[in-house]
Amino acid sequence: MTALLIGVAVAVSGLLALLRLFSGPTLHDRALAAKTVMVRAALICAALAVAAGRSDWLDAAIAVVLTAIVLVLAITKVFRTRTFQAPLSRPQEDI
Amino acid sequence: MDVLTLLRTGLGALVAVAGLVAIFGGTLGILRFPDFYTRLHGASVADAPGAALVLAGLALMAPDFAIAVRLLLLAGLVVAAGPILSHALASAAHAGGLSPLSGRYKAPRPGAQAQGDEP
Repeated sequence: MTALLIGVAVAVSGLLALLRLFSGPTLHDRALAAKTVMVRAALICAALAVAAGRSDWLDAAIAVVLTAIVLVLAITKVFRTRTFQAPLSRPQEDI
Repeated sequence: MDVLTLLRTGLGALVAVAGLVAIFGGTLGILRFPDFYTRLHGASVADAPGAALVLAGLALMAPDFAIAVRLLLLAGLVVAAGPILSHALASAAHAGGLSPLSGRYKAPRPGAQAQGDEP
């Protein structure tokens, strides 16, 4: 029962972070909010796993965290070079 | 419910509430801070320690041992991934030309030639 309450509390903070996702002025704010919302989603899945006593929710939580890692790294790569193609030799770019 | 379960659930709830305080503090930081880099600081405060505390609390109150071990592994993954992602976001914002609110550094426009006196 308490795990369910923890899940609800994390869901509320996820909605607040979602607010930053929509109102974020720059693209980087939205990427940051996306990372936060995904980690919150993983926490909700973990709380449901404990509340229901089933471990398949927990695998979902781990999958969400791994996806969040890959997603944010892909987003930052696109923000940095504006494209996925390998950059031609640009002198001042300090990769 | 025997005493041990009651003790375990109570302790887990306490640890999870401490994690929730960190999470809501970080969320407040994400919403209220004026600049991207300060919001990034707020988010990393919420994610790494807050999520780890909540997961440790959940692991304490988990019904059986297998779920508790996996919860602690997930907490380790989140603690390891938090700073990496925050660094990637900050370095992308910096390279993308987002200059912080205060301080001397003025990010060059993307693609601009590096001036001589760039601090």
